Amino acid sequence: MIELSGVELTLPSLAGPVAILRGIDLTVGAGESVALVGPSGSGKTSLLMILAGLEQATGGKVRVAGVDFAGRGEDALATLRRDSIGIVFQDFHLVPTMTAQENVAVPLELAGRRDAFARAAEALESVGLGHRLTHYPGQLSGGEQQRTALARALVAQPKLLLADEPTGNLDGATGEQVIELLFRLAGEGGQTLLLITHDPALAARCARRLQMADGRIVQDERAAA
Amino acid sequence: MATWALAWRLMRRELRGGVRGFRVFLACLALGVAALATVGTVSAELLAGLDRDARALLGGEVELRLFNRPPEATEQAWLAANASRLSQTAELRAMARADAGERRLVELKAVDDAYPLHGLLTMEPPLSLTAALGLRDGVYGVVVEADLLPRLGLALGDHITLGEGSFQIRATLVHEPDRAARAFTLGPRALIALEALPSTGLVGPGSLVYRQLRLDLPAGESYAAWKARLDAAFPEAGWRVRGLDEAAPGLSRFVERVRLFMTLVGLTALLVGGVGVANAVRAHLEGRRNTIATLKCLGAAGGLITRIYLLQVLVLAALGTAIGLAVGALAPSLLAPLLAERLNLTLGGAPAPLPLLVAGTLGLATALLFALSPLARAQRLPAAGLFRGHLETRRRRAPGWLWPALALLGGGIALLVVLGSDDRLFALGFLAAAVVVLLAFRLAAAGLIWLARRLPRPRRTSWRLALGNLHRPGAPTASVVVSLGLGLTVLAAVALIQANLDRQVSEEIPANAPTFYFLDIQNDQAAAYDALVGGFAGVTEATRVPMLRGRISAVNGQRPEDMSLPPEVAWVFQSDRGLTWAKALPEGTTLSAGQWWPADYSGPPLVSLDKAVGDALGLRLGDTLTVNVYGRDVTAAIASFRPIEWADLKINFVMIFSPGLLEAAPASHLATVRVDAAHEAALERAVTDAFPNVSAIRVRDALASFGEMLGAVAGAIGGTGGVTVLAGLLVLAGAVAAGERRRRYDAVVLKVLGATRRLLIGSLLLEFALLGLATALLAAILGSLAAALVLEAVMNTPFFLLAPPLVWTLAAGLLVTTLFGLAGTWRALGGKAAPLLRNE
Repeated sequence: MIELSGVELTLPSLAGPVAILRGIDLTVGAGESVALVGPSGSGKTSLLMILAGLEQATGGKVRVAGVDFAGRGEDALATLRRDSIGIVFQDFHLVPTMTAQENVAVPLELAGRRDAFARAAEALESVGLGHRLTHYPGQLSGGEQQRTALARALVAQPKLLLADEPTGNLDGATGEQVIELLFRLAGEGGQTLLLITHDPALAARCARRLQMADGRIVQDERAAA
Repeated sequence: MATWALAWRLMRRELRGGVRGFRVFLACLALGVAALATVGTVSAELLAGLDRDARALLGGEVELRLFNRPPEATEQAWLAANASRLSQTAELRAMARADAGERRLVELKAVDDAYPLHGLLTMEPPLSLTAALGLRDGVYGVVVEADLLPRLGLALGDHITLGEGSFQIRATLVHEPDRAARAFTLGPRALIALEALPSTGLVGPGSLVYRQLRLDLPAGESYAAWKARLDAAFPEAGWRVRGLDEAAPGLSRFVERVRLFMTLVGLTALLVGGVGVANAVRAHLEGRRNTIATLKCLGAAGGLITRIYLLQVLVLAALGTAIGLAVGALAPSLLAPLLAERLNLTLGGAPAPLPLLVAGTLGLATALLFALSPLARAQRLPAAGLFRGHLETRRRRAPGWLWPALALLGGGIALLVVLGSDDRLFALGFLAAAVVVLLAFRLAAAGLIWLARRLPRPRRTSWRLALGNLHRPGAPTASVVVSLGLGLTVLAAVALIQANLDRQVSEEIPANAPTFYFLDIQNDQAAAYDALVGGFAGVTEATRVPMLRGRISAVNGQRPEDMSLPPEVAWVFQSDRGLTWAKALPEGTTLSAGQWWPADYSGPPLVSLDKAVGDALGLRLGDTLTVNVYGRDVTAAIASFRPIEWADLKINFVMIFSPGLLEAAPASHLATVRVDAAHEAALERAVTDAFPNVSAIRVRDALASFGEMLGAVAGAIGGTGGVTVLAGLLVLAGAVAAGERRRRYDAVVLKVLGATRRLLIGSLLLEFALLGLATALLAAILGSLAAALVLEAVMNTPFFLLAPPLVWTLAAGLLVTTLFGLAGTWRALGGKAAPLLRNE
């Protein structure tokens, strides 16, 4: 599902070029769940952005869901995200002027699916928000917003689900519920899951744990089966 | 197509956020479109009114105008036989005198029984024409404009003397159908019967009398066919023939001219509003960064993002434009009662669709022009920042379509304006100047920011804060300087032009200008007149020249109709011109080329021509001018060119002929007199008593009348200029409001750190005062340049840099910027620290 070899990211700055990622080699198979852990500034988020096609690697090869990113334009990568990658953010990032149902329907609408709204309703039902279809994000609690975001990330049945601190903005109990849901839905859909977290308990739920430091993967652990 | 449909759907959801942030956008656009649409529909209504009332204004379907001679019997017979109806009138200037001795110049009109062929003549009390003007108890009647009566101390039923004839005032004139609105008149109207005209003794050889023959065409005959027959029958008649399409050429030209100018000024308001549009769109997209980035993360392509917000801008632009168009559509019926009376037109039809269409198109195109650049930036907004909690501000290259699209829109707007205007070169020049001024202000804003950043750090905290606020990222410096600057430039230019024209007509009466013009002194009165004036107390200067009237009928054998006449000299050919002849070079005159003829010259006719006319037509010494005088063509060779200073108000003629041929023609004399104020009234009385047929024009009165007309025009143009400033203020208010949140935050943080309200107010005052001062200074400079250009190049009058209008502009700029700036940030100062700090 994910094949990275020698991936580098170097960004210019006033003080000269800054190496963010320094040669990442990584292979993640379909259906795997991977936790990305490490201190702030170790390069976790940059790696996630490269996987989502939102940042371009300055060196190395990136291949996600069978698509080689080399030479792909911004719009081609947008199409890839639409069809194959779901993303869950720490800050939810729901569109404030759209109802829960409309927010969830967007990826399907972008793909030109006629049944976008019906499927969005099903997806919201599956995260326990079937009664909140017409509510705007401002009318939802934090946990409900994140569940809506989760429904949106999974509604197009992507092959890869990326999550950036999905419980970072939620209290312990609510975060727990969201995580339960995330793992259950990803498991049911057979999605590959890659999530960034600072929470050791959450990381422990993943089958594989990658420790990053200073732009490199310094440890790659697999949980005992 | 599917993408557009999806974009439309997503845009509609976006609109749920409300149009709060778009209030300035809507107001700017509505204002600019309203100005353009109003100018368009009102002028279209005026022109339509001219068309509707053409018969009444012309007095018939055709008018023939003769100067100084009544139609001959053969001409009259032909016209009677070749018209379904015929009416004859005569117009001249005359002194109306009351028995008590009061006198006043009037515009006298003598009419026959058939008058008016079209429209209604109304008077108070309502009388028939015969009852009002006919002979009763051996005295003819006269109908006068009401304001003449108090000036002469008379009432209905009293008698006045016109020339040598006595008339009884039977009614006051309420409506004269064929009186085309003339902006410039020398006196009120007096109406008498044509058959009473000889009794006034005002019609002598060479008198300034126009005779009009108005007629309706024979049934079924076209004007062109009829005119061809007329020309064949009387090729040498020398009359000026006008059809319905030229019913009020002066007024049509005036309306077209004012329309052009006001359209361009309205367009400036729209351009200024465009800055507000750009600001609003930028601020809106700034607030939508997260949404845009989220959509991109969900797989939306950049093109779809542009489409969503492009549609949104278009929908809002359509709303703003519709508001403006509604104002423009209502304007003619609101202004009709006001204008109809002033211009003697029937007004109040449905608004013309074309000007509304043009104004609407310009509104939408301008909104799009200014919105494109922020929209393009949205397309390139990087989505990756969503992960970081803030979006990066790295500058991205604009998409490839941006520049061609901007060029296409800008070019389209320019093309629409230029093609739609009557003077394309002027319109193009104006547009180019507007763009240059916009760029100048943009550069000035960049310079100001640069300077604020580079200046050594001031020691006073308020100065440091004020300077810092000018150059910080997100500071409104650029938009305030650009939007307010353009408005203030227009205001400064209009104020300067107005002040210069005012100065010309009031303060600028040259010290040696004459006090009176005396018209229509007959040949046999000349000697007696000279004796009277020469010996009169207080007279310091007196001149008298013979004057005829004639029309240039050919230049080097070519008819003026067949020539392309430069607009600045077209007036020379438009109607009869005064001509004179002289033996010696008139006093104070110099020649720029050629030689004056000897005093005893008796060869073929020669002419000395105004240098400006010669230059404009590219004439050289030896070229010929043919002038039709009393129906006879006189061809003369150009012997010299003279520069003429019209502004000195002395007797000046475009053409001075050599003595000889014209000496024999019947001429009257035109005289000027300079007399001290104490003897003015006595001289006027003495001359008009001794020579009842002579009209006296006080230069001061004539200039005051001229000044009033200029004042009205300047008022209208100033009003449109005011709209530009209003648009600038809207943009200013929007820019200040957009920065309010940031200022609140700053103020709170500064307060927490110990800043007093006084310090904060001081720094805000300073910041906006600096902005206003810099903007107003540049506006004053550019406005002066524009005024100088318009006055010197377009209006051919000298330009003086007058301090008061400039000081006003500067003060207005300073005051308005500071007030608006303070008003917009006042709330920021009162903000409580705790909630904001907790939220942030």
